[in-house]
Amino acid sequence: MRAWLSTAWVLVWKDLVQEWRSRDVLTSMFAFAVLSLFIFNYALELSPINRAEIAPGLIWVVMVFAGTLGLNRSFAAEQDQGSFEGLMMAVPELSVIYLAKMITNLLMMFGLAILVIPIYSLLYNQSLFDLRFFGILMLGAWGYSAAGTLISSMTVQTRMRDLLLPVLLFPLLLPVNMAVVKSGSAIIAASSVPEFQSWINLLLVYDVIMTVVSILVFEYVIRE
Amino acid sequence: MRFEAKKLCKAYGVQRVLQNLDISLQSGELVCLLGPNGAGKSTLIRLLSGLLKPTAGEITIDGTLADFSEAEIRRRIGLILHQTFLYEQLTGLENLQLYARLYGTRLTESDLKQLMVRVGLGKVRPVPVRSYSRGMKQRLTIARALLNEPQILLLDEPYTGLDQQGSTMLNQLLIEEKEQQRIILITTHELSFIRQVASRFDILHRGKIAESIPNADMSLDELQERYNTVVNNRVKVQTEAAP
Repeated sequence: MRAWLSTAWVLVWKDLVQEWRSRDVLTSMFAFAVLSLFIFNYALELSPINRAEIAPGLIWVVMVFAGTLGLNRSFAAEQDQGSFEGLMMAVPELSVIYLAKMITNLLMMFGLAILVIPIYSLLYNQSLFDLRFFGILMLGAWGYSAAGTLISSMTVQTRMRDLLLPVLLFPLLLPVNMAVVKSGSAIIAASSVPEFQSWINLLLVYDVIMTVVSILVFEYVIRE
Repeated sequence: MRFEAKKLCKAYGVQRVLQNLDISLQSGELVCLLGPNGAGKSTLIRLLSGLLKPTAGEITIDGTLADFSEAEIRRRIGLILHQTFLYEQLTGLENLQLYARLYGTRLTESDLKQLMVRVGLGKVRPVPVRSYSRGMKQRLTIARALLNEPQILLLDEPYTGLDQQGSTMLNQLLIEEKEQQRIILITTHELSFIRQVASRFDILHRGKIAESIPNADMSLDELQERYNTVVNNRVKVQTEAAP
């Protein structure tokens, strides 16, 4: 277990260093997110009441679409130089590659949320600086990264990977999307926790199941 | 140690690449696999490394079936394929450090620098690998394949991109690895270089090892002639079979 975790950390470090030096993925994700928020701001002409209602959905949609750009590239370094096969020969267990990629994608989504919330608050004149709301976004990001990393590992080996990833991933994300939007709306409307507890439970269950199942099936997916 | 494949078959759809191929490799042996483009040399290397699953047949190490889901088995193999397995944004040393950690070796930074010296990269500045030439990347790839001291080396076209000096360096490394009783299987078209170090030549023909030629038996010209005879036979058979 210790070797498994330390290997995962080494792989996360490698992904972060690679990304920091190239800034390929972060730049496109952040640019897409900021532009989307601008476009929605001018296109929707929202009243203050409507803003509060659609804020969680709007932010989550922006994060999911921007995050897909990152997911599409998450195995790109391995694909470009065939390093995936190098990793397969070296790591103690193949599932550790999945875990590392999932953590990296989650960290990317964390960075995205940190960027999107202040920009939204500024553009839409509505403060979303609420730790509970941020926590819900992160729970959603966990489920998104867990499912997205697995699907990405499948589609990266295909010719139409850019198209296939969202087509396969988005239906799988339906429970996450609903839970994030419903519980986010409840937090903004200052509802008490018991009122949206079931949505948080759904998110937690989805995250844990998706992560565990993905770890278990990852070796089969990449070998077949 | 004995590394063997028995009745190995590999098909991609209806296209059969390898058919009932048998090959046996012993410790301290350097076998050069020869064959024209598309003969299945790279497929065989991938099968023997566990990256591909055979359609039929088995791969054994000392008579025991090789289970490639075991890290211990995978880590006994040093592999060079057409792609380098290197990360372009990391420096040469960082790439080696990464693989050393993944393999769980206890190599220190100075050990890895020493390895870089061995492959002729001792004086290279710490710049990302993306700025390396093809030959420099190949040298680093060789260092990457050797760093965990694998017992079996599977090298697919390792001379690619290497200059005269690099090829000589690789030959020297191969001699040292042979002396340490490693099993080495190599595919190449550089007969003049590999002839200096190979123990035997296996010619891959119609999905099988058609001929196995001990190196001591013949000159480079004779080897070339034997190889051409096998390959031309193949062409002739295919032409006659065509409607």
